[in-house]
Amino acid sequence: MSTLHLVALAPFIMAIFIPFFYFKFRHIHTGWFILPLPLILFIYLIQYLPLGGGPMETVERSVPWVPSLDIHFTVFLDGLSLLFALLITGIGTLVVLYSIYYIANKKEEPLNNFYVYLMMFMGAMLGVVLSDNLIVIYVFWELTSLASSLLIAYWFHKEKSRYGAQKSMLITVTGGFAMLAGFSLLYMMTGTFSIREIITYGDAIVTSPLFLPAMILILLGAFTKSAQFPFHIWLPDAMEAPTPVSAYLHSATMVKAGIYLVARFTPVFGGAPEWFWIVTGFGLFTLLWGSVSAVRQKDLKGILAFSTVSQLGLIMSLLGLGSAAVHFDVVDGQSLYTVAVLAAVLHLINHATFKGSLFMVVGIIDHETGTRDIRKLGGLMTIMPVTFTISLIGIASMAGLPPFNGFLSKEMFFTGTLNSATLDIFNVQTLGVIFPAVAWIASIFTFVYCMIMLFKTFTGKHHPERLEKEAHEAPAGMLISPVILASLVIIFGFFPNLLAYTIIDPAMQSILPGLLEPGEQFYVNIYHWHGLNTELFMTMGVVFFGSMIFLNHRKWQETTFYLKERDPLNWFYDSGLVGLIKGSTVVNDVQMTGRLRDYFTYMFIFLVLGMGYMLWNTGALAVDMANTADISIYMYIITLSLVLATVVIPFVSSRISAIVLMGVIGFLVALLFVVFRAPDLALTQLLVETVMVVLFLLVFYHLPELKKETFKPAFRLTNFVISIGVGLVVTLTALSAHALSYENPISPISDYFVENAYALAGGNNIVNVILVDFRGLDTLLEVLVLGIVGLAVVVLIKFKAKKGEDV
Amino acid sequence: MNNLVILPILIPLLMGVILIFFKDSKSVQRTVSVISVGLMIAVSAYLTYIVYTEGIQTTELGDWPAPFGIVLVADLLSSSLVALSSLLSLVCLFFAYQTFSAERERNFFHPFFLFLMVGVNGSFLTGDLFNLFVFFEVMLISSFILISMGSKQYQLRESLKYVIINTVSSMFFVAAIAYIYGVTGTLNMADLAVKIGELEQTGVISVIAVLFLFVFGTKSAIFPLYYWLPHSYFAPPAAIAALFGGLLTKVGVYTIMRTYTLIFPHDQTVFQILLIFGGLTMFIGVLGAVSQFDFKRILAVHIVSQVGYMIMGIGIFTPLAIAGTFYFLAHNIIVKSALFLFAGVAEKITGTSHLKQMSGLLKTHPYVGWLFLITALSLAGIPPLSGFFGKFALIIAGFDAGNYFVIAVSLATGVLTLFSMMKIFMTSFWGEVKMPDPQAKDKKVGSLLIPILPLVALTILLGVAAEPFMQFSLELAEQLMDPSEYINSVLNKE
Repeated sequence: MSTLHLVALAPFIMAIFIPFFYFKFRHIHTGWFILPLPLILFIYLIQYLPLGGGPMETVERSVPWVPSLDIHFTVFLDGLSLLFALLITGIGTLVVLYSIYYIANKKEEPLNNFYVYLMMFMGAMLGVVLSDNLIVIYVFWELTSLASSLLIAYWFHKEKSRYGAQKSMLITVTGGFAMLAGFSLLYMMTGTFSIREIITYGDAIVTSPLFLPAMILILLGAFTKSAQFPFHIWLPDAMEAPTPVSAYLHSATMVKAGIYLVARFTPVFGGAPEWFWIVTGFGLFTLLWGSVSAVRQKDLKGILAFSTVSQLGLIMSLLGLGSAAVHFDVVDGQSLYTVAVLAAVLHLINHATFKGSLFMVVGIIDHETGTRDIRKLGGLMTIMPVTFTISLIGIASMAGLPPFNGFLSKEMFFTGTLNSATLDIFNVQTLGVIFPAVAWIASIFTFVYCMIMLFKTFTGKHHPERLEKEAHEAPAGMLISPVILASLVIIFGFFPNLLAYTIIDPAMQSILPGLLEPGEQFYVNIYHWHGLNTELFMTMGVVFFGSMIFLNHRKWQETTFYLKERDPLNWFYDSGLVGLIKGSTVVNDVQMTGRLRDYFTYMFIFLVLGMGYMLWNTGALAVDMANTADISIYMYIITLSLVLATVVIPFVSSRISAIVLMGVIGFLVALLFVVFRAPDLALTQLLVETVMVVLFLLVFYHLPELKKETFKPAFRLTNFVISIGVGLVVTLTALSAHALSYENPISPISDYFVENAYALAGGNNIVNVILVDFRGLDTLLEVLVLGIVGLAVVVLIKFKAKKGEDV
Repeated sequence: MNNLVILPILIPLLMGVILIFFKDSKSVQRTVSVISVGLMIAVSAYLTYIVYTEGIQTTELGDWPAPFGIVLVADLLSSSLVALSSLLSLVCLFFAYQTFSAERERNFFHPFFLFLMVGVNGSFLTGDLFNLFVFFEVMLISSFILISMGSKQYQLRESLKYVIINTVSSMFFVAAIAYIYGVTGTLNMADLAVKIGELEQTGVISVIAVLFLFVFGTKSAIFPLYYWLPHSYFAPPAAIAALFGGLLTKVGVYTIMRTYTLIFPHDQTVFQILLIFGGLTMFIGVLGAVSQFDFKRILAVHIVSQVGYMIMGIGIFTPLAIAGTFYFLAHNIIVKSALFLFAGVAEKITGTSHLKQMSGLLKTHPYVGWLFLITALSLAGIPPLSGFFGKFALIIAGFDAGNYFVIAVSLATGVLTLFSMMKIFMTSFWGEVKMPDPQAKDKKVGSLLIPILPLVALTILLGVAAEPFMQFSLELAEQLMDPSEYINSVLNKE
């Protein structure tokens, strides 16, 4: 166990103590106790950054967990995991601070739950990014889904919260299961769960027939988590969570777990055309879908949710485009395609900063005005000046305007798509032009929703009567976190190269290992002015067309496009759930009819088909009368009468005659025993039958007449076929078994009884000796059964439970 | 030869008989029951330890040498299952004390309970096919009366179906025994293994194997033989339902595991059939759970689905798969019973088991909510709880054997399991506080949670500290996959 293990486990340990803090120090906001932890972790992690230049040194520590299944809790810290770990702890600190002011310490507010979930999430998320073992990653992965759901339903009395929680749980856990299957397939190919070892297998994986299934399954996990189309539908509904949660899980960290996974697996799958196309294609489409949908939203959080979907798509597509880099030589630390990966990493950081601050700002607006509906808001610029300034910075960055950090990564994104359009592998030639085109169109819509957010909230006329509270600026404590994030937006905008070799290059080294010679570094130089190039013209176009669309919003405000804001894909989820319950009810009702005769129909079909199939399949069917004993005339008579009596029973209409016929069968069986010279059996059978018939007659005498039921011929036919079938397989199996025993003569254990009954057990009657000595336990237990039956009869008659008495 | 092996059968048998004569003394009933279950736990734990360190233990009853007399065999599988079921029975007993009316206890609940354990323990320990049949009878008749005692209309109706279906299955059991005796001339399982090994499981023996699958499949409630289960498990009180849900079907699964690894391991087709019906069972079972809106009913149908996983594991038939099956079996015994007990707690609080009539339990009874959630997630196979590791071992084993399709079905079933568990949690634990009983909010149920706690602790332990248990399972699987140790220790061939 190393300190790095502790980093991932510390939040879990903290979670255990939270109820203590909550109940013991009821008057102090629990958040204050939590706050130091992420801060300490953040500071601790910073020391791993290569601040002095030169490549980052990776750290690996391993502890066996379930070694018999190859599961080791190995922490591995490289550029990529450090980047994420810093995001998780850094944003985590700010979010905890923000939450202290956002969720008031009121009596009915279960703060302990909130922080337990939050710590559980933080630990799990750190576990995901710090682990090297795929199964450990999976374990933490599911824990993040769980924590996310619990946080979404933090206010679980609200119907919508529950709906959102269920949706996110179902979608992300389903993805998780698929991912687990994918991991297991990788294990089949490589025999290890360690990613770093898997990476070394290279071609062995690519050529395996399991390559594609494994890849798709793992991508399912990544896409569901990172809200890629069409799985993104859970994210907007996750906005029911308290806003600190949305800022933290649903924009800055958890939803980026899928991005992390794709980046992590780029060394394994990157270079395959399927990977390139799937990741890029879904990423770009998500980008477009998300930005278009965001324009339709009226809830500020709704806009941000779809904006997050769209931005996640952007990062995803960059990773897809960048995967092509593995096919090209890197000259001077860069190639046409590494720039996409560079842009992905940069945008990941930028998005966390501006989106985090925007979520917090929206939380503030919600908190101080009581609504997030842009139709009710307006004119807040003068009332909430600080909030407005933060929003302005965040929104400008999101829209991709200089001098903020969003501009840098957006330019680079355009560069990446333009470069990829000229790619000469993977049959990109004709379709290549689509990449920059989609990127550009999506950016226009991004610009539009940014404008909507900014102007609808802060400009125009203020309508105090539409708000639930009197609007005023937020308390200082609530503003600290968004101010810090907004400052970062500016700092990273002006000095992007602060990040270049401290974090971006190490992260790129992890995503694209093996491209560089050892000791070499990627060329990371980020700056605003590249001259009058295509990218700049694209940005100008975005601003121009975006503004045009926004200024004309009156013209499209009444269209159904704008009026219907719910994502149409939800239909599949909602009706899928309804259909699932309906369908399963049908399946269940067909079987669980409550009628024994139906149950037996199904059971006997299984029996007849199963045994019949085996008889036919194994060639066991051997009906050979040659080896059977002679059948005497008595046996023919007895057996035929037996069959006759049996066949007649279903046709009699009175209970009494049915019982009599049953008795006839019993006595005929006794006769068979006589013919087979087993007098004691015959005697027993006679006794049992006599008692049974008498008892039945006594009891059934008091029952009402049998109702005459009429059945459809089809029903009768089914029953007929089944009964014949059961009879046939049972008989044929008996005959075949006999044939086999004739072929392979055996010495049955009864020989031993015959020899030793008298000598060892002192009895002349073998049957008796077997019953009381050789197999005495059987008899003891049968006596027990009889005893229980006796007691049971007493209890059934005497004991009547009253309603609600015991559960 | 070790007489210890018979004690888990003898203790409840004797004590049960004694208790018949003390029907009016609640304290005697309770004390004796707890002592006998405690003894069962101690003996079986010690037995497991002996088996683990010294190898398989046997008892030849009446000193009649195997294969002629009846022999009891304790290997890792049977002894650990006896230990686990004894532990479970103690939990259910303590739960029953707090939820049962005095009247129920006066009416021979304790003897029936102990006799049921005779049947369960005996089925695990016996090494004789016909003796297994007799233990099945003991189990069947005591479970029948435990379901129906109280004589409510619903109980009587469903327990009648229960007993009829199971009796028919017993009849086929006798027929199957007759067939196999006709072919091999023996009833001792180890001897059967030898004889059938010599015959190389030709033709008709595979047919008989399928007939045994019908019999044991009915006991384990596989599709399409499970119909006795869903309604009848709804009838008895929670403590009894928990005991049944945890144990009865698992006895069936145990017998399939035992017979298919020991007696019928030769025909691949039979294992294909197991795979097919394992997949069908888990899927159709979980659909049943999805369609229900009653706490107890969801759990009851769910048993079927979980059995499917185990059948699938046996069908994959590799050491890892058998280890996974055992892990899953042990996990399921623990978790399923705990869930039934939670249903009992919820019913005790709210007065109903119908999901739509209760909500907001998490607000009024947070500890019930959290403990339930942990257990429910474990059932759905969410890590790091016990349900995950059993499932994970099965996935790896299934992929290794190339059974991709059935593994896909099992994963889909996992999703639906999660859905049905979420449904319970969402409707009864989340939501506004709403319960039919106005005093429900303030009902204290802390003492009811105490017996469940060890089960919840176990499901966490089997997850977080899985390694020793997984090693045990792997060793157990090795013992099953290579039956020579079993055969030699029974037939005294050194």
